[in-house]
Amino acid sequence: MDARRGCRQLWVSSRLRGFCHLSQAWLWELPLGMLGERLHEELALQWDQLLFDDAPTGGALAWLPTGGIGASRGCLLHPAGPAMDQLCFQDVVLAPGEDGALRPCAQGSPAQFKLSGRVRQVSATQVDGAAFVGVRSDYHCGAWRLQPGAVPTPLQVVRTTSPASCLTVSPHLPGELSLCTHSGAVYLWSVETGLQRLCQEPETMFFRDASPWRWSEFTAHPRVLSYADRTGVQCLDVRAPTQARRDLFKVGAEAGCQRGERVVLPLYLGQAHPAQHLIATQFSVYVVDERFPLVPALRWEHMMTVPPIFAHMMPGSPRGRSHKVLLGAQRTQELMLLQCTGGSTSACQLVGAPRRLHTIADGLQYLPAMTPHQLDWLHQRLGMPAAGVTATLGRCGPLESMLVFQLSEAGDLFYQTLLHSQPADSSPERGHADEPSTSPSLQTPAQAVQHLPGPGTSCGSGTEGEEEDRMETYLSGLEVLVNEDSEDEDSGSAGQPTDPGAQGQGRTSPNQTPAPSPAIAAQYRRWLATLSHAWKHLAEPAKPRVPLTLSQRRLFTRRELGQVPGDRVLHQQARRQLRRAMRERGLVVGCALGSEPSPLPLPCPVEPQAWPDDLSERLTASWVGGWSNWWEEQQGRSQARQARVRALREQRRRRKRARGLCSLSGSFSSSLTCQSDLSDFSDVSAWSVGSRAPTPVPASPQHSLAPSLSGQDAPAEPWPGSPLACSTQLSQEPGGSQDPGTPSQLLSSQMLRLRGVPRERRKTLRDYLSIFTESPVEPPPEVPSSQASRLGGDHRVPLSQSQASSLGGERHVPLSQSQASSLGGERHVPLSQSQASSLGGGQHVPLSQSQASTGSQAKRKRARMGF
Amino acid sequence: MIGTLRSLARNKHGLPLLVGQSRPVGPRHFRPGGVRDWFILLLPAAEGMDGFVEQPAPREEWGSLAPSIHLPLLPCLLHHPVTRGPKETEFQKTKEACLNYIQDALLQNQWQRAAEFMISYLEILETSTVSKRKTAPELLCQAIWRIGTEILLHHSKSNIEELNYFTERMKNLGVKYYLKVCLEHIFYLLCNGLIDEAYQNLTLAESWRYGEQTAAQNDELKLIQAYKGLLDYYNWSKKREAMLELDEENFTDSSEQEMHNFFRQAAVNLKEIIKIPGVWDPFVVSYVDLLEFYGDFDEAREVLTEYAYNSKFPPNPNAHAYLYHFLKRRGESKKSLVSVLKILHKTVPSHELMLEFYTMLKKSKKDKKRRLGLEVIFEVLDFAGWKENVKAWSCLAEQIKQILDNSNKHLDWVKEEWNSRKDWWPAFHFSHYLAKRNWQENEKLAYEKALLAGILLGKDCKYYKYVLHQGCKAKKKRFQTLKKFVKKHNSAYLRITACSDSSTHL
Repeated sequence: MDARRGCRQLWVSSRLRGFCHLSQAWLWELPLGMLGERLHEELALQWDQLLFDDAPTGGALAWLPTGGIGASRGCLLHPAGPAMDQLCFQDVVLAPGEDGALRPCAQGSPAQFKLSGRVRQVSATQVDGAAFVGVRSDYHCGAWRLQPGAVPTPLQVVRTTSPASCLTVSPHLPGELSLCTHSGAVYLWSVETGLQRLCQEPETMFFRDASPWRWSEFTAHPRVLSYADRTGVQCLDVRAPTQARRDLFKVGAEAGCQRGERVVLPLYLGQAHPAQHLIATQFSVYVVDERFPLVPALRWEHMMTVPPIFAHMMPGSPRGRSHKVLLGAQRTQELMLLQCTGGSTSACQLVGAPRRLHTIADGLQYLPAMTPHQLDWLHQRLGMPAAGVTATLGRCGPLESMLVFQLSEAGDLFYQTLLHSQPADSSPERGHADEPSTSPSLQTPAQAVQHLPGPGTSCGSGTEGEEEDRMETYLSGLEVLVNEDSEDEDSGSAGQPTDPGAQGQGRTSPNQTPAPSPAIAAQYRRWLATLSHAWKHLAEPAKPRVPLTLSQRRLFTRRELGQVPGDRVLHQQARRQLRRAMRERGLVVGCALGSEPSPLPLPCPVEPQAWPDDLSERLTASWVGGWSNWWEEQQGRSQARQARVRALREQRRRRKRARGLCSLSGSFSSSLTCQSDLSDFSDVSAWSVGSRAPTPVPASPQHSLAPSLSGQDAPAEPWPGSPLACSTQLSQEPGGSQDPGTPSQLLSSQMLRLRGVPRERRKTLRDYLSIFTESPVEPPPEVPSSQASRLGGDHRVPLSQSQASSLGGERHVPLSQSQASSLGGERHVPLSQSQASSLGGGQHVPLSQSQASTGSQAKRKRARMGF
Repeated sequence: MIGTLRSLARNKHGLPLLVGQSRPVGPRHFRPGGVRDWFILLLPAAEGMDGFVEQPAPREEWGSLAPSIHLPLLPCLLHHPVTRGPKETEFQKTKEACLNYIQDALLQNQWQRAAEFMISYLEILETSTVSKRKTAPELLCQAIWRIGTEILLHHSKSNIEELNYFTERMKNLGVKYYLKVCLEHIFYLLCNGLIDEAYQNLTLAESWRYGEQTAAQNDELKLIQAYKGLLDYYNWSKKREAMLELDEENFTDSSEQEMHNFFRQAAVNLKEIIKIPGVWDPFVVSYVDLLEFYGDFDEAREVLTEYAYNSKFPPNPNAHAYLYHFLKRRGESKKSLVSVLKILHKTVPSHELMLEFYTMLKKSKKDKKRRLGLEVIFEVLDFAGWKENVKAWSCLAEQIKQILDNSNKHLDWVKEEWNSRKDWWPAFHFSHYLAKRNWQENEKLAYEKALLAGILLGKDCKYYKYVLHQGCKAKKKRFQTLKKFVKKHNSAYLRITACSDSSTHL
């Protein structure tokens, strides 16, 4: 505990110091074991999150074409702001560049909504001419409607008690969404009628998996939802959710899964084929047909280093063009493009080899040269994990282009353009070369950098002017970066032949850096300046840690440092001495270096009573020589403190022990020994001091925890150490012919040995009993005689309340609620209000209420599984 | 401890947490090429799932800090155990780097670059000492096989001879994957139309024996035999075509004998594979065709019934369709046909055969069957894939018209069906937006839907009003009759809604 108090790191970070101030009052009270356990849990959680974070599954970026699929304009939905809590609806026009490839140009300023949490997922679909948008943050989900030519209107917001894990918008019915939470519940959320809970299953479907992640998508039938967890996907009928469900996909041998494979992201491919679903695991991608469940129609290993949690599908045209599927990973920003065909008339198959697209960080090599520390910022900034992927197809004359947008966690938005090219003369050996015209070849490693404030900029203090300025940067950023993009495209096509047939003829270096045009350079400088500004204003703890150093300035004054050390006489003298010693190869004696230091004056004698704190007491004790005594005493005290808190956990163990002891003899001495670790006793902080009389039972904390006791048949028993108790006990001694008389007699080692007290416990016992020899107390005044007689009749040793309860087999054990539940008896654990209400809830349960019970269940389950 | 608290505090502020730290080290998970994707379909379904019930124990590796999901940190194929440990030499490191380059090139479809790296990578076979190669020669060979095949398949300058040569080498290198390599090679030959060569390879592979290795590759051997059977069937059907073209007199006994030989070989092999639970659509179809030709209808029926109804097989809608078509060809009774389709309806209510099913039920005299017919057609239209199917809509319209004309005798059927749909069909089928779109795209569809909208939702329905308005504007005669019809049967609409209201109040 003292170690915690004296942590050196405390003074390094102001944030930590703040935390320290906040928690000073209570942190010391926590038992170390429990704190450690929680910390361990938290560490495990953080580690999991570092390796794989499923919160942003689905991605927070969406593209809504205005006027049908393939239109040249649309709306880009993405979060912005330092905390990624502003939802932006940005109108974008796809304008052809010089080479015919489409480029996005922002139109006007985006419609923004400030939300109350980080945007995790944005899903959008067009139904009936209007677009519906679902936005998920951890505890809030919102729905918007976007009609062409109108401002987006927020429709409804739902608050959840456990984090939401999925929000998808129905492609069939307007204003319908499906929502999953970490408690295992699936809701059908209709904007008009509200939430309808379909099912709630804290357990996973096919085998046990600890992850609370759930996902739900719509299927070909508007009243049937797919419901996924890590182990598989099922189909859930909204009209009869409790009935047996159909399995759609099961992690296992039928699908040809590997060991340890888990579902990472399901996606309904309704636009491509009404019955197809894409299911991504960390190893493979499956295409599953609803009509043909369990056996995937297609399996492909996607070869990504981390599981893909973003996916986007662009339907092919009806002329037999393939559907394009983009898979995106979070941490490594990997982006994979797959193309598949078939489904209804022909077999489902992939077209061409999967293709990796450029990541955001790949753009770094195309940026102009910069100083190493700038490079370092940029590297960190561009290497941020991805937060979303979306894409759109566009056509300009004969050229078809695909625009792929990528969002990073810092809020930067990037795009790259892929141009469609006719495949070279179909090489006969390709089994799937019958596809007439697909396989867009990647042309550009393009970076479109929309500036958003850096991760550390304080958002609260931003003035309006600043905000406007930022906006301007944002817009022009997009425009100018279109130019930058064109530059890069040149380099891209130079570095990478677009004609597949020409690929054999060698390959120029991809690291060719383009010469940026002045406009780009200016824009880029501006962006970099803003970034560096933001970087400098990063909150201190967010910066990389510097090793702990001591400032010289604190040790010496400025004036002292200013003096040239060689000037001082003493120094010169010392130097001479040193030289001589070196010449003579002799020793330099300390006193030889300067004048004899005058002996220090003795400090004033310390008054031990003036220093009541632990450390001083300890020092005093060790100075006087009784350190070991002090230590033992201290041990007892800290043990007592721990024991008080640990009492609940050790209840069962103690009961056993106590029962064993009791059945042994029920003798006075043994009962006394086992009292030494009683929680009641340990609480009396004054017992070691011995100045205060033990208080009667009702004052002990155990009783305040169990107020229901007095109503039950367990009586308020006298304090076991009180003379009354002693006398009762002693008179009931089995072989009690001799009267022990005063307690001091008890303390003789002979007596103790006679009573069978082990040698190592005698000291404790003696210490304990010495209290009573020093300060005899009055018996507690009101002890009902009936009780006393009952005590007398009872051969059991009267013990403190808690022990009595743990001893008595038949008695109702008065425990605190938590204990009762942990013991798992048949006792009814009183429920909290919310739990009770949720138990009685109907089908239309408001979300915030309904979760309480399941949340606790889930927590308990996890704890059980974790350890 | 302090570090965690600190990161916790940072996380609360929505800042990214420790970006870029603790990346998994190790080569990427990578499995290029692979057996063609449809190959998976043909693998038998495993009986037990035991292997997947328990989470593989990453906990032992990571302690309790295991990730909740098993990440592809260690690739199954290209990770070389030999390179682990302190003895990692420069050569091994170079190999790893080379592998990464190959992967990079493959994923960017730069086949030439990949091929160049591959040539360097092949040195691993020569330079590695025997002791080192002992550890995972199979994995190594599999990796080389897969990468090499992938490159050769895509490289613009590769040709069949090169690939054949490569495959032969690979077969000898990795005995453990011999049959897989064979299968892959056969698929490649088949895709390029080299049926005879494929057949030769199949024959060779079938007779391959290599001690215990053969037993381990039992599943592949079955597949090899099945494909051989399929090719026999192919040859047989070619002969049959020739026979049908020629007159019977010109068709000699010898060729008939030849044909019968093909039949025998094909039947034996196909029959074997069909016994194993799995999805064997092409094999079943060919086998049934053979049996039908030689008049063994009982056997064919048995095979198809087994394939459709054996619960060990994965639920396969195609199996039901095959059985139905077979029975139909045989001219079986309506009853058996209906019973087949009834089961199919239960598993896949959106199947294409449902319209056929509906027409069969419609003609029935029994009320129960006609009731089922209404159910079937309603259910078909529930699905997004049928949303714009004119035929289905006209079937439904026709059925409801019939009921209305029949003095509303079975109006309660419609009521019941409508009851479960009335809360979502209007938005799903009869919205104003859809009216506009349907009118523009398909007038017939708009007409049928408008008729239904008028009856089910009343004449105030937006869809009905819009289409009627447009139709009258275009002076189409049938829209006038539609208007009259809906007006006439307004009482039916009232009854449907009234009853459904009362039923919901119950």
